[in-house]
Amino acid sequence: MAVPGLLEIRNVSKYYNIPERPLLQVLDNTSFCVEPGAFVSIVGPSGCGKSTLLRLILGLDDDYQGDILLHGERIVGPSLSRGIVFQDHRLLPWLTLEQNVGLALENVKRPARDKAKTVREHIDLVGLHGFEKSYPHQLSGGMAQRAAIARGLVNRPEILLLDEPFGALDAITRIRLQAELQQIWRVEGISMVLVTHDVEEAIFLSHKIIVMNANPGRIAREILVDLPSPRDRASNAFNEIRREVFSLMGESTVLSLAA
Amino acid sequence: MTVNTGTVVAGSAILDPSTNSAFNPSAAPAAATPTLTPISDTSAAKRPRNAKGFFRGGGYIGIILPILIIGLWHESANRGWVDAVFLPPPLEVVKESWLMLTEQDLLHDFWISISIVGQAFVYGSVLAISLGLVAGLSRKVELFFAPTLNTLRHIPSVAWLPLIVLWLGLGAPAKILVLAKSVFFPVFLNTLQAIRHVDKNYIELSRVLTLSRWKMVKRVILPAVLPSIAVSLRYSAGLAWALVVVAEGLSGLEGLGFLIFRAQGLLLTKQLLVCMIAIGMVGFVIDRGLYLLQRRVTRWKVAFEG
Repeated sequence: MAVPGLLEIRNVSKYYNIPERPLLQVLDNTSFCVEPGAFVSIVGPSGCGKSTLLRLILGLDDDYQGDILLHGERIVGPSLSRGIVFQDHRLLPWLTLEQNVGLALENVKRPARDKAKTVREHIDLVGLHGFEKSYPHQLSGGMAQRAAIARGLVNRPEILLLDEPFGALDAITRIRLQAELQQIWRVEGISMVLVTHDVEEAIFLSHKIIVMNANPGRIAREILVDLPSPRDRASNAFNEIRREVFSLMGESTVLSLAA
Repeated sequence: MTVNTGTVVAGSAILDPSTNSAFNPSAAPAAATPTLTPISDTSAAKRPRNAKGFFRGGGYIGIILPILIIGLWHESANRGWVDAVFLPPPLEVVKESWLMLTEQDLLHDFWISISIVGQAFVYGSVLAISLGLVAGLSRKVELFFAPTLNTLRHIPSVAWLPLIVLWLGLGAPAKILVLAKSVFFPVFLNTLQAIRHVDKNYIELSRVLTLSRWKMVKRVILPAVLPSIAVSLRYSAGLAWALVVVAEGLSGLEGLGFLIFRAQGLLLTKQLLVCMIAIGMVGFVIDRGLYLLQRRVTRWKVAFEG
């Protein structure tokens, strides 16, 4: 495994130039950093540019101002050292679970047997042992998302990026997967950056929460979550932070929460 | 007329991605997102094949209608509803087919037709899939070929035949070329459009996984477009088989098509019917075969089975 490096987002601004429309600013001078091995969440209302930010970190789009540095070097293009889990599991329907996970190793030069072993280990890690030969349509939503996590991890990336990975799951599955993700994060010892609009999820999992506002997307505040683990979602301290995050995200959310 | 259907029905516009295999209802978008259904069985890879055997699972009801038709045919001949010159009784046709097999070398003509269609199908579809893939992967190639192909496509195969026969003579090559052309277009257009319909998210995924272009084609694009290609192959094989009859009727002195038109001219209705039935049955077999191929390449899909 690569030793996790420091991920720095420095003064990043991003504009979308849509023809015949005014220039749309989606990110305004955002800066924060992800310490090696940390768990950082980015929360905010939709349209605050949090997913855009993730795409930039992923290296899918290099048309932005500012710098995104990993190990002090500017990120250029996608790399296997940065894994990703999308909101839609994005497993290829024509590949079995193990082929899907193995797809992330296609571009890696290693003996086939070695790869197969790594794939098996990661399928076991996410608790899908016995489903190696299943096709995605035979998996439940939660299982498919676990498979996506396995695919994101199979290269032993130093950073795993998660783009609302549990957004489409039911509440119970979501809570279970959050606990599993935390467990995986402890075991793997890598950095994780989670984009979510589930504030509770962010508080439950993170060291640090980046709260963002929309129009244009900017950072409202960084909140350090200094709660003992395992975190009690019903505790006062937990709710305190929840209140703070919601108030940072804007009055409307607070009102709708009260109602 | 059969000849036109190929170019018209399969003629979804080359540059219009919104039309997808309009000619075949079983065509499905290539990159359909699978529905997530909870799994109930861990040996999931051994998913029960939904393909029903021909006679198991109610398939036998398909045999009822042919029996009724033959019964009606028999009765109408028996009771003299129709003159035997226009509609000979079924038993006579069976006898005639035996005669044709034993004394007239029907199998020879049969193989002539099959071999023309087989070669045309292979040449046409190989070229169509290759060019379809290249054009699908490169917008430039597509734009280079689009105007030319879109014009050629609208000239029906039967209109090509006279010129091609002038060049290549009355033999098999002219027919193979014309049929290959009619196989080419549906397969080419479907390959191209299926590539245009590949989910962009999958392309993004292959970028994130740093797959090479070739790996992306092999692992992502090809599997995504195979179902559409299979459907178009099935369609165009049927089309070629229908067209060979016309082509042989128009030129040359052998093949089932030649026999049919000769039988008509000589008022040999029995022979005519023998040829028609043979054509129908071969068409059925071709379609079944390619249907099985189609099922094979779509086995990862959850389909509506009716």
